[in-house]
Amino acid sequence: MLASHRWLVELSGVDASVDDIGDRLTRLGLEVEDTIRFGAGLDHVVVAEVRAVAPVPDKDKLSLVTVFDGEGERQVICGAPNVPAPGGRVVLAKPGAELPGGMAIAERKVGGVVSSGMLCSETELAIGAGTAGILVLGKGDPGRPGQLARDALGLEDAVYEIGLTPNRPDCLGHIGLAREVALAFGEPFRPPVPGFPSRFVSTDAKLRGADELPFIDDAQPSAVDTLTLVGPRPDVPILVPITIEAPDRCPRYAGGVVQGVTVAPSPFWLRFRLHKLGVRAIDNVVDVTNLVLQELGHPIHAFDLARVRGPRVVVRLAAEGERMATLDGEERSFTADDLLICDGGGPVAVAGVMGGADSEIRKDTRDVLIEVAYFDPRSIRRTSRRLGLHTDSSHRFERGVDPHGVPWAMRRAASLISSLAGGAAAPTARDVYPTPIGERAIALRPTHVGRLLGLDVPEAKVRGALEAVGCAISPAEGEGWRVSAPTWRPDLGRPEDLIEEVARTIGYDAIPTELPRVLPSGRGLAPNLRAAWRLREAAADLGLLEAVNYSFVSRSDLEAARVPAEAVELANPLSEDRAVMRTSLLPGLLDAALRATRHQASTVALFELARVYVPSGQRLPTERLELAIALAGDRPGHVGADGSYDFYDAKGALASVVDAALGLSLETVRPDVLDPSLHPRRSAEVRVAGARVGVIGEVHPDVTDALGLDLRVVYASVSLDALLEAAGARGVPQASGLPRFPSSSRDVAFTVPSELEAGAVEAALREVDEALLESVQLFDVYTGPGLADGSKSLAYRVVYRDPEATLTDKRVDKAHGRLVTSVCKRLGLEVR
Amino acid sequence: MAEATDEGAALERFEAGLADVEARLADAFEGATTEQALREANAKILGPSGELTGLLKLMPRLPKDRRRELGQRANATKARVQEALDARLEALARAAREAELTGPALDVSLPGRGVTRGRLHPLSRTIRELTDVFLALGFDVEDAPEIDLTQNCFDRLGFPPDHPATDMQDSFYLRAPDGTVDPEVVLRTHTTTIQIHQMLKRPPPLAVICPGAVYRRDDDATHSPMFAQIDGFAVDEGLTFAHLKGVLTAFVRRLFGDEVPVRFRPSYFPFVEPGGELDMGCVFCRPWEGDAERTRACRVCKGTGWMEILGCGMIHPVVFEAVGLDPSRYSGFAFGMGIDRIAMLRHGISNIRLLYENDVRFLSQL
Ligand SMILES: [Zn+2]
Repeated sequence: MLASHRWLVELSGVDASVDDIGDRLTRLGLEVEDTIRFGAGLDHVVVAEVRAVAPVPDKDKLSLVTVFDGEGERQVICGAPNVPAPGGRVVLAKPGAELPGGMAIAERKVGGVVSSGMLCSETELAIGAGTAGILVLGKGDPGRPGQLARDALGLEDAVYEIGLTPNRPDCLGHIGLAREVALAFGEPFRPPVPGFPSRFVSTDAKLRGADELPFIDDAQPSAVDTLTLVGPRPDVPILVPITIEAPDRCPRYAGGVVQGVTVAPSPFWLRFRLHKLGVRAIDNVVDVTNLVLQELGHPIHAFDLARVRGPRVVVRLAAEGERMATLDGEERSFTADDLLICDGGGPVAVAGVMGGADSEIRKDTRDVLIEVAYFDPRSIRRTSRRLGLHTDSSHRFERGVDPHGVPWAMRRAASLISSLAGGAAAPTARDVYPTPIGERAIALRPTHVGRLLGLDVPEAKVRGALEAVGCAISPAEGEGWRVSAPTWRPDLGRPEDLIEEVARTIGYDAIPTELPRVLPSGRGLAPNLRAAWRLREAAADLGLLEAVNYSFVSRSDLEAARVPAEAVELANPLSEDRAVMRTSLLPGLLDAALRATRHQASTVALFELARVYVPSGQRLPTERLELAIALAGDRPGHVGADGSYDFYDAKGALASVVDAALGLSLETVRPDVLDPSLHPRRSAEVRVAGARVGVIGEVHPDVTDALGLDLRVVYASVSLDALLEAAGARGVPQASGLPRFPSSSRDVAFTVPSELEAGAVEAALREVDEALLESVQLFDVYTGPGLADGSKSLAYRVVYRDPEATLTDKRVDKAHGRLVTSVCKRLGLEVR
Repeated sequence: MAEATDEGAALERFEAGLADVEARLADAFEGATTEQALREANAKILGPSGELTGLLKLMPRLPKDRRRELGQRANATKARVQEALDARLEALARAAREAELTGPALDVSLPGRGVTRGRLHPLSRTIRELTDVFLALGFDVEDAPEIDLTQNCFDRLGFPPDHPATDMQDSFYLRAPDGTVDPEVVLRTHTTTIQIHQMLKRPPPLAVICPGAVYRRDDDATHSPMFAQIDGFAVDEGLTFAHLKGVLTAFVRRLFGDEVPVRFRPSYFPFVEPGGELDMGCVFCRPWEGDAERTRACRVCKGTGWMEILGCGMIHPVVFEAVGLDPSRYSGFAFGMGIDRIAMLRHGISNIRLLYENDVRFLSQL
């Protein structure tokens, strides 16, 4: 919401500085996000009167204009096509002036003539968007020659950009904001009373029916003296019949006629006011509707009455598939849930959203039908969303305008149109309002206020605050109050809403700051989050960088990485690149690796701990926390690389992280089922205590090739739940005491077929029933000279110990012999 | 006679040999400049085929009556040889140590071995730091699903249907396997759902925060369709707005420093009433230090001196009603904040995209 400081001061009667008002609005909950200044500088820019216009020799498009600047005459060269005849007033920038765009004005010679200044356009002064040439002041515009334009035209202003929350439709107009300004300064607020039209259509008809809204308010007879009666225009109605067929969607609809207008540009003050608020000036009728919208926050619409067939108005729901062209030139189709304003022939406007192209105000419009209505907010919102049409009007209606603001807006619009466009208003407008909307009553115990805020608020203060925002208080049962909320505040519905009004008024600063006595539950971090943190920290400690990828990927990302493609699909993704929820962390990490190689990184060492999403067959998918590690490129040596990362780096990293974080040791075994994203000969299943917790391996080279990644990537991923289960089953590690007698060790090397896994030999060694055996440790793997092709040597150190005695060499030799023989026999091996 | 002559000759050889060893002792070892040379020199004398060993082999051929005396002399010589050897060994070791201690220095600028730069993601680090503060303030940390029912994400939090309040949070919906859109399942738009999940699970008193990823259909220079939030709330009998102010003021001070001013101002979220936002003094231009010019020129706070950091308020009675708690008995406060923004503020990160691009050059910076 854009709001003019000058206008707020006018309406609130609070004459405070731009900063002061802005700051107090912010503290009241109307956050001023930015302030835009107008008319600053312009020190040597004055109103001037044209005295003579002459051509410039040899320059077709230029004229030599003699102007009176209040002190004397001077000549300026002007290229605009719209220099007024002598007597017209313009805005002159004298030499020494600096315009908002940074242009400095100085005397200069054009075609042998000295130009001492410049006649300015609205754009050059940054006070409007007029493109027709220089700014020419009209008869109704103020300004004496020589007066600073800034003062004469009221150019100095500041416009607040207010980040309005959706609960405050009342502040979508300056009157509502002015009420808040008065509240902020503790001043009473008197809403402005709209004047009434000064020219009326004279009629003999008795117009004061039940559904009619008189323009002259009997309670304020002041301006009657100046009232002019004008004869009605032939065949132009004074009242237009209105039928509301959907009163739940449109509880109130008023239509008023202004006859005999002359559509023309608005006076400067109106154009400038709209310009400051970011609204394009169009003509004196449309500008009035926009001004009333900015003023009261109530959107109104003006129809060219000659194009309203019937003439009559019917407010009804659209027929499914019914069509109409809107003001923006789009042909639109409606559903049976959209509310339309129709005339005798068909739809003329999308209620509360946008008018139709056929009935808009044109240059030749002579008679105007003003629409002021109240529509059901939810209905407007649904239509606006369905059509993708968000307008100043729908924005306000869907938040809820004041149904009781209709007469005000009607009077104001009719009065402004009749005075600016020279029309004559009908004496009354039709106002169909079958079931008036009452004020909402809220039961409030004043003591509740202090109890929720933690501050003792005297009853009188509560009352004062509520009355200041427009509530009326009457006593209710017991100590309670019955508080009626004003109809412009649809957000007030419960006692807590009223408490906020009190808190806002006394200021949140006035509420004390104290720590509650919350007794900690002792739970602290949930177990899975605790484990996640430990894993993250362990991974980072190990030298890995943590990645955070978007949870959504493209289906082709899943396919390219060969991870499960049965994924949770978004119905309304921002793009195909982010259309499904990931089923694996692999695509994200591969993408990060690819990105790193594009930046010439030679080493990639990443991890991610995040969720994957798996369709469950139920309404909500399964979300699973996983830890994934990806290594690629150079393995860092002391200085420079020490080879490239391989399977064993990933295994070591994963084992180290899982051990450091959760005290679990893992093992890797050849997978029963190959993971299609991994290398079939260089991948494994990760197990903890025999249970599968994840996978590890080199990413399938075809996968990395397809991505254009020319590095081999090794990857590991484990499920957090599976790890937690294993950790839970293992329990707390128990100490086993230290041995009292020394151990003794023997080394043995076996020659084995290349494909036999060391793990199998080690397992066989451990499985021998040998009481003295304590541990087995692989210390060398050898292939090469001295060994037959297709075989390798595995060397183990075997440690023996008798817990009850010191071993003799003889006992050890005997035990070792038995062990080696047994394993050789079992696996068909030879001792090297 | 032959025997006597033989004894004489042996004695002569023995005496001469011993004298020779004694005479050469000093030189033999002095000339050796390495331990290896020294051991070789020693072997020539004391080794199995060394001179002294050879002399000792003469012993049976020496006159019987002198053997004892000659043996003692030989042993004394042997001891002197050993002594000289040890002395020389020690001198050599000393010289080597001297050489090490005065010789070429290590290149201490070379990197340490086995140390690589691992880092937590700035979002993780920020979550961790924020979480630690709330843990210390007595809050539990819990988790909630990222894909949730609109009932939990909106309805139970008091978002009216067809109300512009939901504009603030444009949601991603899911497509069912049969191709239809399920209008009641969304990627959560805020971690505020934790209120519903926890209040349905456990009775008050409750004090819980929930960090996590949230999703909104926004993608521009300042918005990412996925971002991180922390929401928190407390429910008990007798909790007040003053308590809300107390907890959040403590939070900001712990995170940014005791000198940072805070202010609460009214704002609107459907699930709180009264609702508010917390502004903290701008940590870039630090207006409390009194340099007004610096604040005027500050782009981060647009010259206001304040930065909006979180939304908060007293839990709306509709939320209590939605989870079956009695709003006349319980009250509570709730708050929520964007972690991305806090991480960006803390680490001087200018573009939100950096947080999700996983550029290793960025990840290894912080
Ligand atoms: Zn600042």
